[in-house]
Amino acid sequence: MVDISLHLLDLMQNSARAQATRIDVRVSEDKEKDTLTISIEDDGKGMDEDEKRLALDPFYTTRKGKKVGLGLPFVVQAARMSGGDVKIESAPVSGTKVEITFSLSHIDRQPLGDIPATLVAFMAGNPEIELSLRYTGPAGVFSTVSHRLVCEEERETLGQIAWLSLAEKRLRAGLAGAGFRPDGGGVIG
Amino acid sequence: MKSIEDLERVRDEARAHIRIRSSAGSPRVTIGMGTCGIAAGARETMLAIIDELKKRQQLDVTITETGCVGLCAKEPIVEVQIPGEPKVAYGNVDAARARQIVVSHLVNRKIVDDWVINIRKEDE
Repeated sequence: MVDISLHLLDLMQNSARAQATRIDVRVSEDKEKDTLTISIEDDGKGMDEDEKRLALDPFYTTRKGKKVGLGLPFVVQAARMSGGDVKIESAPVSGTKVEITFSLSHIDRQPLGDIPATLVAFMAGNPEIELSLRYTGPAGVFSTVSHRLVCEEERETLGQIAWLSLAEKRLRAGLAGAGFRPDGGGVIG
Repeated sequence: MKSIEDLERVRDEARAHIRIRSSAGSPRVTIGMGTCGIAAGARETMLAIIDELKKRQQLDVTITETGCVGLCAKEPIVEVQIPGEPKVAYGNVDAARARQIVVSHLVNRKIVDDWVINIRKEDE
């Protein structure tokens, strides 16, 4: 994974696989505290203590016929190499919350990447999941919910391809208003 | 557009379009979105497909995703299924290839042989 938004997409796929109906994504850049925090919280089936521990093992997967499960291990690697860490809270039935922190100015922190692209790609494959986003950036806060971003009626009349394009346009505009830049916040940016 | 009648006509046309779309007759594009697919660039592939379909007004196509199918080295993998025709899986589909697949396969109904990794008959 070359940027943080790709890790985010991968973790959202984990939530979808855990039968989530709702996913809350929070992205927050804090220059003063020098942190970049990403959290993904879902109402999926959750994990018990053993599964939670095993989830970080690259050779553990819940899928039959596969030998590796690299999503979370990649995230942990990316966080730790830039002075951050990953915290997982999870309980069976109630869902899972993954919180990733990075040191914002760390030279090895991956770029934030294209957050709107991640959300649109996820909505394309999982239109029924209610996705909420709260982005705190250098110029303010942008928050939205997928079913308000493009409402049911618009989805029906426009059809999938056109409503996804509209969602992308609105997300890019909203995020830009809060000061989002695809590789923003780093020492170079 | 000048009157309520015009507006209603637009609405009825759109509804007729939806009926066609929601029937079994629409082509389907499936993109591998497992960890391997994402790392190989499946997100950009998907956005390129959406963009190209929109540009060419091919709105009667359904986009879906799937997880890892066990052929990680060939990701991003894109499967195109046109009703009544075999399912065609393409490998190493970056954004540029994706756009070409949209034009050639979905618009002009011509399979792009060079990138095919599998062809399955519909009932298999």
